[in-house]
Amino acid sequence: MIHFYYSYQPVIDFFLLSLGFAYSQQIALRAGVFSIGTAGFAALGGYLVAILATRTEVPMWVIIPAGAAIGALGGYVLSIPLARLRGAFVAIATLAFVKVIIALALYFEDLTGGAIGVTNIPRIMDTWSLALMALLVIYVNWSIGRTTLGRIFAALAQDESVAASLGVSIRRYHMIGFMVSGAIGGLFGGLQSLYVYNIEPNAFGFAFVVTILTVVVLGGRTTLLGPIMGAGIMAILPEVARPLADNRTMVNGIIMILVITFLPRGVGDTIVDAVRHRWRQRRGASRPQKQEVADAVASD
Amino acid sequence: MLAQQILNGVVSGSIYALFALGFTLLFGVQKLLNLAHGAVFMAGAFIAYYCVIIGLPFWVGLVFAMIASGVISIIVELVAFRQIRKQVDPEFPAIVSSLGVDLILINIAQNLSNTRVLSMPFGTFPIEFYNIFGLRISLLQIVILVLVAALVGALVYYLQKTSFGRQVRAVAQNERAAALLGVSAASVYRQTFFIAGALAGVAGVLIGLSFNSIHFLMGEPYLLYAFVVVVIGGIGSVPGAVVAAILLGVTQALTKAYLSSTLSDAIIFSLLFVALLFFPNGLFGRAVLSAGGDRK
Repeated sequence: MIHFYYSYQPVIDFFLLSLGFAYSQQIALRAGVFSIGTAGFAALGGYLVAILATRTEVPMWVIIPAGAAIGALGGYVLSIPLARLRGAFVAIATLAFVKVIIALALYFEDLTGGAIGVTNIPRIMDTWSLALMALLVIYVNWSIGRTTLGRIFAALAQDESVAASLGVSIRRYHMIGFMVSGAIGGLFGGLQSLYVYNIEPNAFGFAFVVTILTVVVLGGRTTLLGPIMGAGIMAILPEVARPLADNRTMVNGIIMILVITFLPRGVGDTIVDAVRHRWRQRRGASRPQKQEVADAVASD
Repeated sequence: MLAQQILNGVVSGSIYALFALGFTLLFGVQKLLNLAHGAVFMAGAFIAYYCVIIGLPFWVGLVFAMIASGVISIIVELVAFRQIRKQVDPEFPAIVSSLGVDLILINIAQNLSNTRVLSMPFGTFPIEFYNIFGLRISLLQIVILVLVAALVGALVYYLQKTSFGRQVRAVAQNERAAALLGVSAASVYRQTFFIAGALAGVAGVLIGLSFNSIHFLMGEPYLLYAFVVVVIGGIGSVPGAVVAAILLGVTQALTKAYLSSTLSDAIIFSLLFVALLFFPNGLFGRAVLSAGGDRK
């Protein structure tokens, strides 16, 4: 077990980091926002944390939440113009947002170090603290799913017009979706800075966007299990087959097409659905009157 | 100096128009975004490059790239959209599947070029300059303007005057009704994808030639420009797209010349976001965007 841990530690750490980003991506989709702006939020949080950690004496327990806060702020600001955009166009608009953030990071060299980025960031995150943060994010996502907020998100994702007719403010809840996505993205962007010693703008480019999107599509877009499955498979895949690692872009592309065409809900969501279905069938057989309740809860 | 920059902006803007027209045409017909359009554009530039490298004249390479990009675009439709269209809510799945095809094409191009930046061999296109009213205009720029005008004219004629064009517009309006009247949606999709791909391919060749750089990631910024053009010009509107693309080209040339070339894209996208606050329906007032639910 110890041996296993040491030989696969980088894989596990990579898994935990991409898990966090995947939840940031997933919560936006759960709210019905087709945002792929997680890379931008991660860059915001990453840079703020890197700059604070290298240039100031601010304690870590302030710096790390500050990363999450700037991500949430970015989500808030981004949501205002994007409230006017229709579904799929949000995806490209958020890609443009990522481009803007990267261009700013390249331009303000005094602050961000330009193309070289910020180096010599103290490395204070290890596997255990990353795991703790991942658990925290899972807990937050789980609680959102249990509250009215989660149900409103689900309604928005399924049908905006129905949600609007029930008195849900689309703009307000899309804004909240952006902010939660931004906070998680910013938090993990900051953690990544404190884990890999350095941060540079191109780490948050197109490849980052696509990798995180692949994780969520592969795993599943609604359940908690989704990002875990997706990030797990994507972390193990290059270890299993080296040729796959050399053509990672193409592998991502093929996975995206195959999964979205033949298993559109993703691996994790499909498993959860199947388990829920069986569980409900069994309960329904013994106590038929509970069936309706179970359906009502599930359809939330 | 100012007039010169505006002229350069108009020329590059006209190429953007070519690319964005195909993008908006596809969205108008199938109501789904094709994120692989940038990769088709890149493929056009690559095909023309390899044609020139093996010794074919530039014109042959251009025509060949145009046709081949159209065919690649048909393949994109087949792989990324044919099955997805049958899903209940295909909007997000289409983003994912077209992005998937985009990645595959990018990876192929990356392997072909060994991640290098390619450029057309010197003398592919004669370098000649003319002075008109004190402005310097190159032969290439004149050819670009004429070619774009001809292609846009052909597209408008095709959409407005031919039976195929009427079928395309019928499917764009209502696929079911069109099918009941005997229009084959599949054939309309194939045609529009071919046309959009061919336009993107030509745009790729022209961009690759005028900036003298062909790169496997060159499609991505142009996809974002197309998005800007569509939001400003209105979805499916040919004149809107042309005006918006030229506006974009000029704005870009001016920001590069007078503000900062690093920040040029960031400024353009930020301007777009600001514009969205004040002109929620795009600058041309078409109901492109809606805060409410008009998903279907």
